[in-house]
Amino acid sequence: MGVRRTPAVTSLDLLAPQRSALITGLRMSEREAAWLRAIGLGEGVEVTVLRRAPLGGLLHVRVSGGAELAVDRELARNVELGPGEKERP
Amino acid sequence: MTPSCVVALVGRPNAGKSSLFNAVTGGHAKVGNFPGVTVELLDAQVRALSGELIELVDLPGVYSIEGEADPESDEGHARQFLDRARDEHKPLVIAQVLDSTQLELGLGLTLELRRRGVPVIVLATQHDALVKQGFELDAAALQEALGVDVLATSARAPGIKEKVSQLLADVWRQQRKPPHGTIDVRKLARQVLLPKENAAQSFARVRRRTERLDAVLLHPLLGPLVFLGLMTALFAAVFMIAEPVTALIDLANQALGTRIEGVLGTGWLSSLLVDGVLGGAGTVLAFLPQIVILTIAMELIDASGYLARGTYLVDRALRFAGLGGRSFVPLLTAHACAVPAITSARIIRDPGQRLRTILVLPLMTCSARIPTYGLLITTFFSDRSAWFKGAMFVGLYFAGILAGLVASLVLGQTVKQTGQRRPLVLEMPPYRRPHARVVARVAWRAGTRFVKDVGSVILIAAIVLWALLTVPGPGDSHSAPPGASPRVVAMHGSLAASAGRLLEPLSKPAGFDWRLNVGLIGSFGARELMVGTMGVIFGIEGGEDDTAPLSARLREAKTATGAPAYGPATALALMAFFVLACQCMSTLAAVRRETRSLRWPLFVLAYTYAAAWVVAVVVFQAATAFGL
Ligand SMILES: Nc1nc2c(ncn2[C@@H]2O[C@H](COP(=O)(O)OP(=O)(O)O)[C@@H](O)[C@H]2O)c(=O)[nH]1
Ligand SMILES: [Mg+2]
Repeated sequence: MGVRRTPAVTSLDLLAPQRSALITGLRMSEREAAWLRAIGLGEGVEVTVLRRAPLGGLLHVRVSGGAELAVDRELARNVELGPGEKERP
Repeated sequence: MTPSCVVALVGRPNAGKSSLFNAVTGGHAKVGNFPGVTVELLDAQVRALSGELIELVDLPGVYSIEGEADPESDEGHARQFLDRARDEHKPLVIAQVLDSTQLELGLGLTLELRRRGVPVIVLATQHDALVKQGFELDAAALQEALGVDVLATSARAPGIKEKVSQLLADVWRQQRKPPHGTIDVRKLARQVLLPKENAAQSFARVRRRTERLDAVLLHPLLGPLVFLGLMTALFAAVFMIAEPVTALIDLANQALGTRIEGVLGTGWLSSLLVDGVLGGAGTVLAFLPQIVILTIAMELIDASGYLARGTYLVDRALRFAGLGGRSFVPLLTAHACAVPAITSARIIRDPGQRLRTILVLPLMTCSARIPTYGLLITTFFSDRSAWFKGAMFVGLYFAGILAGLVASLVLGQTVKQTGQRRPLVLEMPPYRRPHARVVARVAWRAGTRFVKDVGSVILIAAIVLWALLTVPGPGDSHSAPPGASPRVVAMHGSLAASAGRLLEPLSKPAGFDWRLNVGLIGSFGARELMVGTMGVIFGIEGGEDDTAPLSARLREAKTATGAPAYGPATALALMAFFVLACQCMSTLAAVRRETRSLRWPLFVLAYTYAAAWVVAVVVFQAATAFGL
């Protein structure tokens, strides 16, 4: 039996409010990924979840560039996060 | 005159392009806090102090100019402009409008623009907001690092017009090709933002304000409540504040009519002026205050930053109905007018959502419906309390929204999803205090445009209708009540009356007689004309010495047998008809333009009229059964 650990947060839709993590990958077509990077949700960006709309609604996030975005939950599922999730800066 | 150069304002949505465009050209580009506010390309010419004539173009927002973009989207339209300018070898200068409070995000686009091989200048705007956050931009250092000219400015900086136009002319003359290499924009942004003494506190203060407001306005329970409350208050205000003013304009109309009849007697000229011009166009003009109030409210919602919050709140519900968060702005805009709303549907990236949105937009309660609603409520529910009437008016707005959601759900089954689903990502701008001057200017323009419309299209249509109702035709004039004046007898035999009577078998189950049918025919192309047509018909029926307002005349209208012609049941049925029917040629033309097909505008026409007729019949029959 291994040690019990909290499961690692691996994608943006799983990130709890007031916590932040680094984007490490975008699981989607290159075209969609390029568009997301241009908006400010690319690899290497730190995202903080501010709130989640109820019933699988939008995520309200802040990116390290300073902008705030509302992101589709389904899209967030395909935004990969690196380890080292932490309390909001 | 051909300009020396064309300057394209390129930047992310909300960067401040339109504000800068207005400041430099003195123009009237629509400023907004939301992507998609600028969907059409606006251009204007300015002359630099050194003599060059510069053509400035305000483009829709773009995040990137490389990679693929949907050509139908607003971003696609901006890119097409840039590509065309390159292919046609236009003397192009790219002026990037960059929100200096989001420097890092904007610089990515700068790198792309530098690769275009045309002169580039960076206008780092909203510098006043940056200063409030406790920072300053080191424009010289940024210019050095980028190899293109940089100006730190703000749309309200004094002397901006001269400064920017001269700078643009200089950039054009120098024809400097920007360098290409890549730069670490995150590092660069940190280097050129100089914190002032208490930067940390200032920044925290500005951020805290937005966070506090969001905590309430985006709260899972409070947020939707506030949203619904705001919408209700807005619709109620349109009715309650504007009603007395409308009554006043109506009174002035009557006084003028009495004067004209006093001077001109009761000949046909007097009838043309009083029944046709005043009764037709004048009655519509009385609804000016509603239009202005609605415009001001929309502007406040937009300029304050609430629009994006509204989108966040309604996204889930709209998605359930087959629409999406991005449909919200077109849907809200359609409460003023469906035509710009259909254009603004370009901000919807998902093609299926976009089509469905366009198809249901005509169901939103546009301001052209207000005159009919106002007239029907004040006429047939005059003995009710102001609250009841206000609630009824608000109910009509929500009926339109509900109809749109239901229509979208039904369409979801028929209008097949084309291509893949495109998810939503939307910027949430900080809250801002709206500027009284900007709001006043927008309200003034909406008001003058309405007056111009009434003075041109509606006036002409009212006169044509008057003629069609006055010139004797092949119709049966025996339906005129006994002892009616020759003019009323002539109207009953007129062409318009015959057409109205032709439709009676179809319209009787909904409670509409030939006079209402004439109104419905008259308002086929533009629904404002309903009230105008009623004004003309009942103006003629009222005879010479009757100066009662239209509402009183409608209440007292009789059938051929002398029974009251209309009652609350008729009013409800007519309202239902107006909620649903797309009585607007301009809307159909816009649907045709945006869908590039004849099929969809015809579809809109067919489904809205069919639904309008069915629901009007059901409402009339039910209301009659309940004894209304
Ligand atoms: N404080 C400040 N606000 C600005 C400035 N320029 C634009 N804004 C605001 O930023 C928002 C977006 O402006 P707009 O010109 O519509 O941006 P566009 O989408 O790039 O055309 C509006 O609410 C403006 O009032 C500026 O120089 N200073
Ligand atoms: Mg704009």
